[in-house]
Amino acid sequence: MVRNRARHDPRTEPAAEALRLVKVTKSYGTAESTVTALDGVTLGLARGTFTAVMGPSGSGKSTLLQCAAGLERPDAGIVRVDGTELTGAGETELTRFRRGRVGFVFQQYNLLETLTVAQNTVLPLKLAGRRVDRRRATEILTAVGLGDRLGHLPDQLSGGQRQRVAIARALVAEPRVIFADEPTGALDTRSARDVLALLREAVRVHGRTVVMVTHDPVAASWADSVLFLADGRLAGRMDAPTADAVAERLAHLGDDAPVGV
Amino acid sequence: MLVLALRSVRQRPGRFLATLLSAFLGAAIVMAFNSLHDTAGAPGVDAVSSETLRTAAGVVGGYGTLLVFFAVASTLTVNVRQRAAELELLRCSGATPGQIRRMVVSEALAVALVGTAAAVLPAVLGGRLLVELFQDTGQVAASVDHSFGAVALSSGVGVTLVASAGAALLALRRVTRGRRRTVRRRSWLAWAALAAGAVAASSTFAFSATDEMLMAFPAQGAILLSVGFALLAPRLLSGVLGRLALGGASGWLAVRNLRRRAGELSGILMALILFTAVSTATLTMQAVESDEVAASGMVKSVDAKTLETLNYTVVGIIVAFVCVMLVNSLYAATTYRGREFGQQRLAGATPGQVLGVVGVEGLVLTVVGLLFGTLAALAGIVPFTVVRGDAVLPEQLAGVWAAVATVGAAATVGTSLFTARRVLRIPAVRAVGASA
Repeated sequence: MVRNRARHDPRTEPAAEALRLVKVTKSYGTAESTVTALDGVTLGLARGTFTAVMGPSGSGKSTLLQCAAGLERPDAGIVRVDGTELTGAGETELTRFRRGRVGFVFQQYNLLETLTVAQNTVLPLKLAGRRVDRRRATEILTAVGLGDRLGHLPDQLSGGQRQRVAIARALVAEPRVIFADEPTGALDTRSARDVLALLREAVRVHGRTVVMVTHDPVAASWADSVLFLADGRLAGRMDAPTADAVAERLAHLGDDAPVGV
Repeated sequence: MLVLALRSVRQRPGRFLATLLSAFLGAAIVMAFNSLHDTAGAPGVDAVSSETLRTAAGVVGGYGTLLVFFAVASTLTVNVRQRAAELELLRCSGATPGQIRRMVVSEALAVALVGTAAAVLPAVLGGRLLVELFQDTGQVAASVDHSFGAVALSSGVGVTLVASAGAALLALRRVTRGRRRTVRRRSWLAWAALAAGAVAASSTFAFSATDEMLMAFPAQGAILLSVGFALLAPRLLSGVLGRLALGGASGWLAVRNLRRRAGELSGILMALILFTAVSTATLTMQAVESDEVAASGMVKSVDAKTLETLNYTVVGIIVAFVCVMLVNSLYAATTYRGREFGQQRLAGATPGQVLGVVGVEGLVLTVVGLLFGTLAALAGIVPFTVVRGDAVLPEQLAGVWAAVATVGAAATVGTSLFTARRVLRIPAVRAVGASA
């Protein structure tokens, strides 16, 4: 069940805390060889913030994002998005909840190849059975700089353009939280800057909450704060980050970890 | 390359299952019917029995070879397409096109040999059953013993191996070169088949009701027309889809998917059209013929009985093969879409909505396939019943058509939904990542 604390309708007032994880644990693999991706992670993110999650490969940052977004089921712990607890719901219920309040941006864009830019953008609304406001969709696409590409198919666009379509798609349903998994991982520096600017604008102008997983200190420096993750555990936090400070902290992240565990 | 081929078959036998099944079915049918040649050639068989046996062997043997070729080609094309990445890797590691060709052909031959070997026993039993069938209806003397000999074995091995090698080459060519160049030749062939079919169907009117050849022309006409429609399948599908607007998110998405994938799906549509036309036309005309003969109180001649047995057998074989092809191509096509389904789910589609999309797609394909298959069948059936009886549409049509439509719809929609359900068990994020 998706347990609503106060029968949250997507249209009601957003909760003060956009995301809350309590002792979330997740491991993969069989009984003989288990990999613990998340080891009792507890965190809370306030509404209207832009947070980057950083850590070396295998630190569990993508798993963190997937558990927080209800795409993966944690083994233990509580996940609360916009005040609603996700734990224990079936996929259909989770999907219904997500499309009202959560938007996604992935490294691989995940646009549907058979749909045009405009159709991809309104797809979440269509699937949710909501009224499709074409003018609003065009407005959003124009805002991300694709107003002249409405009828193009994804394979006619560059990587940066595709990612901007993905952002427009994430914004169109007016979600409370946007989860971005390495959104600039496959982009050149200029396109990456455009994408990061759009994400920051979603927070500053539209009041969304953005959680972004990245391994790039420059991308992380666009966020309000950075959470560091190592071996499935939180390993620190930095507010008002700069690229250099983040890189420095990242380089010494493993230093104080116990050896031989 | 041969070692590599055998390794690749041994490591992933599952992928070759459909090819193996087609080779096995084909070899079994070819050998069972060709063993009738062996039986007819045995000493002490009378002339009438011998002729019946040889006719049956000749007709179905020819059909069989063609079907083995198409079925193996269709399953191998799917197989080669799925392995595009692996073949590309081989190319990058320094394999010449010739080496890749040899590998794929060797794989096909290895699978065909296994299929043929497994088919020997069923073929012996099948051949015995055929002879008994002919004996029960009095077309072959009771004294004739079934024998399974050189003709059966050599034709079985020969046809299956040659068809498999040829099919493997065709599959490679299709996958590596794309289809653009063949479009013009294909549409020319399609119009030729349609024209020939129309001529054959209308020449039915030149015969009288009791001519023995009466059924041959409308039947050929229906088959040729269905081949023509099948070759035009991509265009027919786009034409229908251009006018189609379905409600609901699933319907909306299904129509858009089908429009973009019309070319890919034409193979499935082709199989459906052929299946519908051949089975509806043959079964209806045979039913009309049998009822007319029964009504007139005449006793059926040996030839007429042979024809009836053959008609039912041929339809049975075609149905079996087309079902294998249909199920295999749909299964492969749907499995391949795991990533796309994952993307739909991440965009906010519930598993139910994804299944809805797949279901609507299957339904549209079925309706279009049935529509054109039925048109082709009617083009043969109507002239036949007008000449043979007095009605325009025979009353037997409804029952036959209902059965054919049910089998076609069940195979198409059932396979798609079943496969999609399996694919949907993988979590969406992993489905998107796996083949990225």
